[in-house]
Amino acid sequence: MKKIFALLLTLAMVLSLAACGGGNSGGGASSGNNTSAPADGGGDGKTYKVAMICDSSISDGGWGMACYNAMVDAAAKYGWETEVSDSIAQSAYYESIVAFCDLDYDLIYAPGNQYTDAILQAAEEYPDIAFALLNGGADTPEKAANQNVTSLLPNSQQVGWIAGILAGLMTETGKVAFIGGMEIDTTKGKYAGFVESAEYVGQQEGKDVKALDVVYSGDFSASDKGIEFAKAMMDQGADVFFGDASAVDSGARQAIDEANAAAGAVKVYDIAQPGDFLGQNECIIGSQVTDNSGLVGLCMEAVEAGTFGGETIYGTMQNGVLSVGKLSDLVPADVQEKYNGYIAQVMDGTFMQ
Amino acid sequence: MDSAFITNLILASVRMATPLIFLSLAELYSQRAGLVHIGLEGLAAIGSLVGFLVSLITGSPLLGVLAGAAVGILVNMIYAYATINLCAEQIVYGMAINIFAPALAAFIYRVYFGAGSELVQVGLMTTLSGLLGIASDNFLVRLLLDQTPMVYLAYGLVIFTAIYFNKTKSGLNYKAVGEYPKAAATLGISVVGVKYAASVICGALAGIGGAYLTTCYSTTYTDGNVAGRGFIALAAVIFGRWSAGGVLLACLFFGFCDALQIRLQVGSYGIPYQFFQMIPYIATVVVLTIIGMKKAGPKGVGKPYLREER
Repeated sequence: MKKIFALLLTLAMVLSLAACGGGNSGGGASSGNNTSAPADGGGDGKTYKVAMICDSSISDGGWGMACYNAMVDAAAKYGWETEVSDSIAQSAYYESIVAFCDLDYDLIYAPGNQYTDAILQAAEEYPDIAFALLNGGADTPEKAANQNVTSLLPNSQQVGWIAGILAGLMTETGKVAFIGGMEIDTTKGKYAGFVESAEYVGQQEGKDVKALDVVYSGDFSASDKGIEFAKAMMDQGADVFFGDASAVDSGARQAIDEANAAAGAVKVYDIAQPGDFLGQNECIIGSQVTDNSGLVGLCMEAVEAGTFGGETIYGTMQNGVLSVGKLSDLVPADVQEKYNGYIAQVMDGTFMQ
Repeated sequence: MDSAFITNLILASVRMATPLIFLSLAELYSQRAGLVHIGLEGLAAIGSLVGFLVSLITGSPLLGVLAGAAVGILVNMIYAYATINLCAEQIVYGMAINIFAPALAAFIYRVYFGAGSELVQVGLMTTLSGLLGIASDNFLVRLLLDQTPMVYLAYGLVIFTAIYFNKTKSGLNYKAVGEYPKAAATLGISVVGVKYAASVICGALAGIGGAYLTTCYSTTYTDGNVAGRGFIALAAVIFGRWSAGGVLLACLFFGFCDALQIRLQVGSYGIPYQFFQMIPYIATVVVLTIIGMKKAGPKGVGKPYLREER
C-alpha cells in the first residue's frame, strides 16, 4: 500500500511540476497564447510566432508589463502568435530561449541588456531563428556569427532626460533620486541622463538640484527593497523619484504614496517608465514612454520579408519611439508649459547646448 | 550618522526581520521534531500568493494570512507524508517543495489573472496606531504602535515558543522526538504524531511568513518576492542555536544588516554600492566564525524514524 501511495505521490508531483513549469515558462501558455488576424503583411499564409523571455514579471507595473504589452500590440498588428516566459532566473535565460527555439518560434524577443550572452549563444546554434534584443548593445548584432540578431536600442540618455527635466522642474527640496535594478549599461545611461538634465533644468530655473547616488536593488522582483530604498531616500530629502527596476519601482511608489498620505498632501513624486502609467499610483506625475511595439513590429516585418538581422535599430524622440506620457494635474500649468518647452529642445537637438 | 538615521534604521530592521521570524520559527518547530526543512522558500511563496489572492477577493488581509497558513499546511503535508510515513530523504523533498510550490504559485497567478499584464494592488493590514487613531513621529510610538498585528504575533510566538520548549512537559516531549525518537517512543510519546504536528505548525508559520509579505508589507505580488528569505531562515535557526531567543536575535541581526546596507547605499556619496551589498554576507561569515560550528541542534534531525528498526 505504501509503495502505491509513494508512486502516486511521485506521479502527482511530477505531473504538477510539469504543468506548473509549463505555466511559468509560458505565462501566456494558459491564456496568453494569442493569435490575431493580420492587419497587414504575412501574405504567405504562415502563422508566425514570437516568444518573449523576461526575468521580471509581466504584471510588475513597470518594465515587464510594458515590454509584454509591446509584443502583444505588435503581434496583434501583424497577426503573430505570442508566448511569454517571465520571472525566469538568470541561470534559465539560455534554456528558456532554446526551449522556444526548439518549438520553431520565428522570433525571440528579449527585453534587456542582461540577455545578451544567452541570445548570442542561442543565435549561433539556431541560425534560422531571429533574435531581437531590446536595449542590446550597438555592437551586439555584429558579434552574432549568423547575422540573426538585431539590437533595439532606445536612447537611454533621452529616456533619462525626459524624466530628469520633469524632476528638475518639480523638486522643491532640490534632491532627486534614482533606483536601479541591476548595474547594466542602459540603466547607467538612464541615470546619467536623469542626473544631468535635472541639474541643468534646476540651474535654468534658479534651483540647486542634486541627485542622490544611484542605488541598485540587485534584482527586479523585490518590491520590499523598493519600499526600503524609497523610505531611506525620502529621509535624505529626495522628493522626485525615477527608476529602472521593474517591481522594485512599484514598491518605491507604495512607500511614496504612504508618505504622502501620512503628510496629508502629495509632496513626493514619481516618474514612471517605460509605459504611460499615470493613475496607477497617486504619486506618479508623468511617464517616459517607449514605443517598443513599433520596434518589435519592425522586427516582425523584417522576419516576414526575410531581411532580418545584423542591424541596430535606434529609438529616439525624433523617430517617435520615445515620447512623453500624460502629465498629472499635480504638475502646475506653468510647469507643464516649461516642460513642453524643454522637450521641444530635446526634439530639435538644442537641449543643454 | 544622526539620530534620525539610527531610529529609521531600527524601524527598517524590525520591518525586514518580521517575515524572517515567522519562517525561522517554522524551521525551529520542524527541526525540533527531527525534520530538517529546506523547503520554506516554497511554502512562503505559495503562502504569499494565496494570502494576496484571498486578501484581494475578500478585502480582508487577516483572511489572507489565515489562507496563507492553510495552504502552507496543505503543501507541507506532501513533505510530511513523504518524510514521516515513507521515510524519504528530507533534503530532497524540501528541495522538491522549493521547486514545486513557487511554480504552483506562478501558475495559479497566471490562471487567475490571465496573461494580461496589469499591476494588481491590495490594501494592507491596518497598524495598531491606525486602529487607535494615533499619529506621531515619536520614535517609541512608531516602534511600538506603528506595526501591524502580525508583528506582535511574531514576537508573541517567540516568547510562547521559548516557554513551551523549556518550561512545559509537552515541549520537552516534543524536543525528545527530535533528539532521540526511539527513546521518546518508549516513554509513550507518539513520535509520528509529534512529527505531523510539527509539520502542521511549520507549514502554517511558513505560509504566514509568506502571506505577511503581501498583506502587511507590499501591496503587490510578484513571482520571487520571497527573495531567499526561506534560506536565510534556515541559517537563522543555526545562528540562533535552535532556541527561540537565539532565533529572534539572528532574525533581527539579518534584518539589521539588510536595512543597513540599503541605508548606507543611499548615503554612500562615492563609495561603490557593491561594498554595502556585501555587508550581510560579511556579517554572516564573521558571526559564524565567532559562534563556531559546534553542532548544538537536535541529534535526530534529518534522520528518518523507522519504528521497527533496532
